[in-house]
Amino acid sequence: MNLKEMACARVPLDEQQVTEGPRGRERTLPALHPARKEDRGFLPYQPPPEDSSPAKVEEFLEQAQFISEDLEWLLALPHDKFWCQVVFDESLQKCLDSYLRNAPRGIDFASLSSSPAVAEMQRSLHRSIFMVFLRMATHKESKDNFITPAVFGEIIYDNFLFDIPKILDLCVLFGRGNTQLMHKMIENIFNQQPSYYGDLNETVPSIIQVFDTILEKCGLQSEETGASEPVKLNTQPRRTPMTMTEEDLADLVLYLCDTCTTIHSFLDIFPEACSTFHQHGFLNRLSSFYEMAVPDLEKALTKRNFDKCLQEDLWRRVCHSRRRMVEITHLLLQHTCLQPILEGSEHTASFVEDFLQTFSAFLQEKRFLADYDEQFPVADDISLLQQAFPHLDDTRTSYLLQAVESAWDSIGKKRPVTASSAN
Amino acid sequence: MSPPRLTGALRSFSTVSKQEDFTLELYDLKAKRLKRQELFAREGLTWPKVVQLFTQHQEKKEQQSASQELKNILQAAKQIVGTEFGQDTIESAAVYLFKTFHNKDQVGHEETRAIKQMFGPFPASAAEASCVAVGQLVALLGESHVEAFIQTQSSCKTVDQGATFGRNITFSFDSYVLDTQDALPWEEEQGEGQSLDF
Repeated sequence: MNLKEMACARVPLDEQQVTEGPRGRERTLPALHPARKEDRGFLPYQPPPEDSSPAKVEEFLEQAQFISEDLEWLLALPHDKFWCQVVFDESLQKCLDSYLRNAPRGIDFASLSSSPAVAEMQRSLHRSIFMVFLRMATHKESKDNFITPAVFGEIIYDNFLFDIPKILDLCVLFGRGNTQLMHKMIENIFNQQPSYYGDLNETVPSIIQVFDTILEKCGLQSEETGASEPVKLNTQPRRTPMTMTEEDLADLVLYLCDTCTTIHSFLDIFPEACSTFHQHGFLNRLSSFYEMAVPDLEKALTKRNFDKCLQEDLWRRVCHSRRRMVEITHLLLQHTCLQPILEGSEHTASFVEDFLQTFSAFLQEKRFLADYDEQFPVADDISLLQQAFPHLDDTRTSYLLQAVESAWDSIGKKRPVTASSAN
Repeated sequence: MSPPRLTGALRSFSTVSKQEDFTLELYDLKAKRLKRQELFAREGLTWPKVVQLFTQHQEKKEQQSASQELKNILQAAKQIVGTEFGQDTIESAAVYLFKTFHNKDQVGHEETRAIKQMFGPFPASAAEASCVAVGQLVALLGESHVEAFIQTQSSCKTVDQGATFGRNITFSFDSYVLDTQDALPWEEEQGEGQSLDF
């Protein structure tokens, strides 16, 4: 087909018109138009096979090769054609979404295939998928290739090119080694389309619900989910981590591990989201979840009799989850209270009050408080506060520090002697 | 099967994601191969053009030999795509075999992969036969002549690797992994000489 394109330089893509078609039958269209999309037919992604049987490996390689070639083709398209494909090709969006849903995370069981060909193909796909998302998060690719920022915001939001679950998947899949690029991407997405903050606000209760679901599956209930309701006489006894099937216990621990790793990666990469989590009382819910669920899970994993390898793996996952929950707490406190105080915000007094109240609420969660203090000594934060805010109420801070000491005593752990605790 | 994920729950229970359209048919490998064949057929080089190249300006003896090799390629193409397809599909497959083998002496791993990618499982003997036939044909005109012909006829532009987005962006494959520093409690207990009950 003869193409005659007349795109004006330095005009945003959303305002450009192109004239194309066979000689004598040219037509003028907006540069972003479904008729300009190629019918490419992207395949959905399937994860590498769990066993290395030749037939399954071959099937994976064949499917992945098609995807890889199609993504290479997509990334080589000029700016206008790339956006036509991204906006109007449903199969491409399905392919990208299937990768985010199904690609193995670094924390999954045996996330690296034993077949070198599969591992190499997976690496190639991993990079290409990231580059496609990076290009989709970029409204200005060069001086000549750009989209009006507000229109870009509408395009990515209205077409679900990004949504909150996708952003969380991107963080956990790519964020570890590409923190700065990921931060730039997400920052640009949220800046150009503030509706994502609204979506995040709607999502946080669902995240809290996930923790409640884990509690329910452990036979525990949070205060907010109606623990006070009377139990019917003929109700089956609740399954607990000690009595549920091995498979259910493994699923529960995997779910917890994925949840904690994903939230942590997102907040670590995009701390601007911390205030939305904080507004929903996330810290109180997380600390009480920790206090209720962690001891029960640990007890089940040490006392139950099951496959040794699985038992070790699940134990590591619970420890990993514990550490991520403590780090999430630290990130939220850091970005919603401590940092504004240290930056000398005009509302310092209210941030100090918020910090002290949050810690006061932690006092009943003794296991959580001691574990937090082990990773992030509370005395260090109090000392920082005292320097930044000389009017700090000494009685309250002394009470807090004593409560931390007593939390260590009550769980029977020995507190390591540090410089700050020794002083 | 993927392990349970936070984002899976959020997709199912929150309202911030696009609702799945289960009526939309996803491409499968078979449909994808047909799509690839369709795209290849639009690339410019056709079977009649290949036939014309090898049958004009040739001595009668060479013309006969060329015709036989062209028939052999068509026959191999028919075996590879299957009998249920029409002449157009067979000719398009013949062109694909011609392009694949025009500068190859034998059927290597890469060629096998490429043919399978395009047409699915195929008899190895058909690939061998087509490779030999293409070699005989190319010998009649010379490799450079055939190469120039293919370049002129193909409308498909090769990908400009330099223009590929992300070419110069440093990408890290590091990913979040499980913490490994935690001692197993039963090992600690064993260290203290206590017995375990599991």
